[in-house]
Amino acid sequence: MPFRTCFHRWLTAYVGALFLGCTLALPTAQAGMIGTQAIVAQEQLEAQRSELRDFLARDAVRAQLVAWGVDPIAAQQRVDSLSAQETELMLQRMRELPAGGDVLGAAVFVFLVLLVTDILGFTDIFPFVLGPDER
Amino acid sequence: MRRRPLYPVLGMLLALCGCAGTGPTASLAGLDERPAVELTEVPFHPQQRYQCGPAALATMLGWSGADTSPETLADRLYIPARQGSLQPELMAQARQHGRLVYRIPAEPHALLDELQAGHPVLVLQNLGLRWWPVWHYAVVIGYEPERGELILRSGTIRRHRVRLATFLRTWKRGDSWGVVTLRPGQLPASAEPRRYLAAAFDLEASGFGAPAETAYRAGIERWPSYPGLRLALANRRLATAGPAAAVPILEQGIAAGAEDGALYNNLALLLAELERWDEAKIYARRAVRAGGPHLDEFRNTLDEICRRRPTGRCAPQEPLS
Repeated sequence: MPFRTCFHRWLTAYVGALFLGCTLALPTAQAGMIGTQAIVAQEQLEAQRSELRDFLARDAVRAQLVAWGVDPIAAQQRVDSLSAQETELMLQRMRELPAGGDVLGAAVFVFLVLLVTDILGFTDIFPFVLGPDER
Repeated sequence: MRRRPLYPVLGMLLALCGCAGTGPTASLAGLDERPAVELTEVPFHPQQRYQCGPAALATMLGWSGADTSPETLADRLYIPARQGSLQPELMAQARQHGRLVYRIPAEPHALLDELQAGHPVLVLQNLGLRWWPVWHYAVVIGYEPERGELILRSGTIRRHRVRLATFLRTWKRGDSWGVVTLRPGQLPASAEPRRYLAAAFDLEASGFGAPAETAYRAGIERWPSYPGLRLALANRRLATAGPAAAVPILEQGIAAGAEDGALYNNLALLLAELERWDEAKIYARRAVRAGGPHLDEFRNTLDEICRRRPTGRCAPQEPLS
């Protein structure tokens, strides 16, 4: 059927053109441009890291780290090398605890410090935490 | 194996944690000096059985001028098996009405800051106990310091008064979750630029490009030297109006004091697109010098510009000045 073939060919071309048009009309991020998504993700990671750093910088936490022979500066540096996912996991675990306000209960406190040193690979107490060497 | 002996100890420690003081602490200081406020214009939708989520969200959206009802929202929000709604879904629904959803900091002063700015706050409370939770969504609309009470649109009660200390305990048990839902262009009183950017971008990512653009602009006015919002707005303008529309936004950012590798990098690429090669090269170099997590991309940008640049030498390896 010449008519049908012809019609099909036109249809194909039309749909093709439509598709191409749509593709071109979509906002294509240029190569090398840093997208908003990436910026937001990076900002979030920075904020989470600074939350962890603030925790490690508390006098009581520092003292406990030192008492256990962990260099607080090394611990801080390790925080910066955690991936986004690990940072998120760590904060999540910390927030799940009823460690309200500025006064940390002694038990909560010990748990938190152990958790932190676990993630940083200085201790290996909690099975759900993978140290740097186990990843 | 060596881990096992610690479990009982930790169990005991955790059991003790439950009793560790989670009551009102230092964050309560100064709350009685805050002025009284009541947002009487906030509408009220008494909740149906279990449906506090849809009712509270309808209250919020109605206040912000969106046309909706708890019944409409309930179809999309209420999960019968859970007899309730989830926070991410509430936030997504508010965005679907073109509203900027901002989670406020988990502390009472932020809550009062929002009220004083005229913004009701949607909160999640655990009215029960930690181990026997009774979840509830309500809208905080007022504060009376002399009686030490908050006023809520809650459940079937239009003006539910709660002692501040009691509320704060139930709020804390709900992870101190609270959001404002604003028209794009309005700023949360407790806004912080990074989290505001994320909230505005969530709006853009939900398909509300134009409202997100309004939100970016309002944020830029508030924090002129914060690069993130400039980048977001420029990316949006690039997508809708091309490089010539995006360039001035980044240039104004630099003039206002924004210093950021990604900002230099994107500006360099846009300028290259407009064949303003000399400026493009300057900014590409600045990006490399700024460094940071995107340094590899910045180097590629500089290489790319040097390669495409029609005239003049531009060896990427020449010392950065």
